[in-house]
Amino acid sequence: MKATEHDTDERFLIQAAQRDATCFAALYEANFDRVYGFVARRVPSREEAEDLTAEVFHQALASLGGFEWQGTPFAAWLIGIASHLIARRWQRATGHIEVPADELETIGVSDHAERQAVLAQLVDRLPDDQRLVIRRRFVDQRSIREIAQELGRSEGAIKQLQFRAIETLRNQIRSGHA
Amino acid sequence: MPSYEIEQLDAALNALLAGQTLQALRNDPELLPMIEIASQLQLTPRLEFRAGLRDQLLAQASMPAADRVFDAKLAPSIHAQLKSRSVRDSVLPPLFSTGVSMLPVRGSHLAVSFALHVAALAIVLSSGWWMVENRTVVRKQIATRFSGTIDYLLPSAPGELHGGGGGGTQDKMPPPRGSAPRFSDQQLTPPAVIVKNEASKLSAEPAVIGPPEVKLPQLGQIGDPTAAILTPPSNGTGSGSGIGTGEGTGVGAGNGPGVAEGRGGGIGGGIYHVGGGVSAPRTIYDPDPEYSEDARKAKYQGSVTLSLVVDSEGHPRNVHVVRSLGMGLDEKAIEAVSKWRFEPGLKNGRPVAVQIGVEVVFRLY
Repeated sequence: MKATEHDTDERFLIQAAQRDATCFAALYEANFDRVYGFVARRVPSREEAEDLTAEVFHQALASLGGFEWQGTPFAAWLIGIASHLIARRWQRATGHIEVPADELETIGVSDHAERQAVLAQLVDRLPDDQRLVIRRRFVDQRSIREIAQELGRSEGAIKQLQFRAIETLRNQIRSGHA
Repeated sequence: MPSYEIEQLDAALNALLAGQTLQALRNDPELLPMIEIASQLQLTPRLEFRAGLRDQLLAQASMPAADRVFDAKLAPSIHAQLKSRSVRDSVLPPLFSTGVSMLPVRGSHLAVSFALHVAALAIVLSSGWWMVENRTVVRKQIATRFSGTIDYLLPSAPGELHGGGGGGTQDKMPPPRGSAPRFSDQQLTPPAVIVKNEASKLSAEPAVIGPPEVKLPQLGQIGDPTAAILTPPSNGTGSGSGIGTGEGTGVGAGNGPGVAEGRGGGIGGGIYHVGGGVSAPRTIYDPDPEYSEDARKAKYQGSVTLSLVVDSEGHPRNVHVVRSLGMGLDEKAIEAVSKWRFEPGLKNGRPVAVQIGVEVVFRLY
């Protein structure tokens, strides 16, 4: 039932975006974490992941008019675009046409991508100070000392916040409260 | 939570962030799930990238469908755009952007808001500057408000200067309003509203003691000119055979053969001066006078001396200039002092009208 409601909502969103392209923002927000998570696992650097993710959404928006709803999630279509882009980049870099089989997941949405999207949502729900520490530590790659200086707290306090945040994420993933 | 676990996790995370693989960190099964999560956290997107891409997409979406074709080779790198964006954002965050966040954000709205704020600030600053430039602080200085210290103006009374008189035949009713009899040097017959002995063999015209050349207004019926109301005929509740509520052969509430408050003949009551048992009025509301435009431009300073009567209600009456300053400042002083309110002067605990002098000092600072 939930899946059907989700499909219906997504279908309406797609139709709305086809009529008015500015409505594409809702589809972008709903699928960003999945696409980024899928791409980021397959390219070596954050910059490359961001460029490819941007390209996926730009191409999706450009060709949205030709999209036909066939019952598969919109995310699958986006992942398909991402797979092709990664394959092309791989081909340019190595000169080979073939790409690893798992790079071409076009039918379903990647489990990893789904987990990544769930994790992003859980991070958003963390208390402010824990969320900030996680973002500074893992996204901005800052050291504990740098974060402590920025927040005006001791290094021990930052390590404790880091521990609590990851522990909370682990517990929530285990209990399935995604 | 044990601190060694915190330190252990941090050490493992340092190794992970330094580039070690998860395989190398699989020593501790307790921490492994947390390290795996940390590994996934490394793949979390930057917030500014997410927002920047959204803005790019909205800009692309606002173009006509035909122009919406995306060419990765021609499109500017998102990193280049985010870099320029971060520089702009540090100065004026959404002024250069057009996008949708929680609420629609448009640069034009921000520009209008910015302009209005600048205009408001300009008005505040310019008005402050004007105030400083045209600072005409009017300092009224009441050197002395009361005649007691302005000798040349209104000399204080060494004692009661007023005459007066009173009378009555201990009737139950106060005397009616009416005219006092004429003044005379000698009083043969005290005045009376009700004549007790109408068949007097030696009759004389009733009179009160006072200067004969002063003609009192004659209203017809004899009575107390200071009485407020018309009452049935009565000589009043006082004593001594006159008319009124005082004592003696006169008329009024005083004591003696004269008229009105006071004693010893003549006319009493009216306006008092400070001293001799009359207390000075006190100001309870005294707004500052304004500076006249001419005097302000000419930077003219000085003081105006006014004379006025503070009535028994505390209102200034008959305000007039005793020593003028000119350039419109006299009028400004009168205008201000006319708005003043006083606690009236007292005589025998009762409020009375008192004449005072006020010096208003105009000074530019």
